[in-house]
Amino acid sequence: MSVLDRLLRREDLHSLAAPYALDALEPAERLRFERHLDGCELCAAEVRALSEDAVRLAWSTAAPPPTAMRDRVLAAVRTTPQMSAPEPERTTAQLPPHVWGTRPPPARVRASRPRPLFVPFATATAAAALVVASLFAVQAGQAQDRLDAERAQSREIARVLAAPDTRATTDRDAQGRSIGVIASVSQGRAIVTLSGYDGLAGGHVHQLWLMHPSGQPRSLGLFDGDTPLVTSGLDNSATSLAVTVEPAGGSAQPTTQPIVQLALKSLGFGE
Amino acid sequence: MRMPGVTGRAGCGRGEGNRVEADELLVLVAGGDQKAFEDLYALVSGPVFGLVRRVVRDPAQSEEVSQEVLLELWRSAARFDPGRGSALSWILTLAHRRAVDRVRSVRAAGEREQREARRAHHPAFDQVTEEVEAGLEREWVRRCLDRLTALQRQSVTLAYYDGYTYREVAERLSLPLGTVKTRMRDGLTSLRKCLGGVA
Repeated sequence: MSVLDRLLRREDLHSLAAPYALDALEPAERLRFERHLDGCELCAAEVRALSEDAVRLAWSTAAPPPTAMRDRVLAAVRTTPQMSAPEPERTTAQLPPHVWGTRPPPARVRASRPRPLFVPFATATAAAALVVASLFAVQAGQAQDRLDAERAQSREIARVLAAPDTRATTDRDAQGRSIGVIASVSQGRAIVTLSGYDGLAGGHVHQLWLMHPSGQPRSLGLFDGDTPLVTSGLDNSATSLAVTVEPAGGSAQPTTQPIVQLALKSLGFGE
Repeated sequence: MRMPGVTGRAGCGRGEGNRVEADELLVLVAGGDQKAFEDLYALVSGPVFGLVRRVVRDPAQSEEVSQEVLLELWRSAARFDPGRGSALSWILTLAHRRAVDRVRSVRAAGEREQREARRAHHPAFDQVTEEVEAGLEREWVRRCLDRLTALQRQSVTLAYYDGYTYREVAERLSLPLGTVKTRMRDGLTSLRKCLGGVA
């Protein structure tokens, strides 16, 4: 590539700062531009400023969400594990200095008088300069495939949450270990989360079963640590969920006693 | 069965110090504080839902995307660094990105139909100015958008509020790509001046 080509290419990429700030790039272009930001101080500064401007356009659109949405989100939160903060050394290593710039983080000023949420654009965005960079931090901290998997799972979770008959329940034992379930009978889907059940011996997994009053337990899948398990095909005649410890890879039928069992009646099954 | 203590409530933030409150709440949420999340929900669900609905339009899908975003806040709250930006801006940037992703995948599915419709009927672009609602912040943004040139305004709003890529914007406005990129930048910079920027 000649020097001229490279300059033209740089010029071309610079001009993508505004479309980037407006989320108006195609995915491939977005990635290419973000890579370019690593080596282009000018672009990073411009993106910072333009992104502040773009966020201002959001302030004017607030609208009250449907009340049922609150129930669903809060129910989901009860059974959804959180991601841990990125390790500090990784953060430093993967945050190019120019993204933050040499400017220190803006000092936060407490409101001296009551003020409405969306009015003071200037103060609102003083600290927003680094929003884009925050998103980089999230993205840089994880491998892309991991992100994709999490996004796909979030979508599946959102689908269960969106059902009109979604209900949630949790069960906690004396040791503080808990199982949480969000389920929709109409969809036959459920999101199941285990927490506190770690310390599994090597070569073993937690397997989830659907129990029927008559008939064999049916496997709903294997847990991967504390990641929620999204399952489908729950029929209305099922009475409970059970979790057993099985050899890696899972079993066709439970080979041990359940470590936890949860009745499905309160979730609307068997009604 | 409803979970105890959960009642329906509109999520429009009111009261004083909300912006600072959101920052503090998000830090508590990162520590697994579900009560703090309820408060954060009350503060940000309105802005998030409003922005998503503005971009996605379809009510059911807007609700779905908003839920996804709000749940993502819970999941990834620990990744927010309060020393590096305000929580509200971080949240709205995330919501916008997700809304745009959704509207594009929906559009990709029905792209051919869309193209036909576009040929048959060239829609009015300035929907923003028609959707004026009460509220000081709306009034401000509207007034500042009105001060842009028509091409600046259309380039910015087609991208931000309607989720079109700059290539699509260029196609819809029958403008060269370079022109659209420049109009977007000029439009945003003019907005900054009009809204009282912190240059």
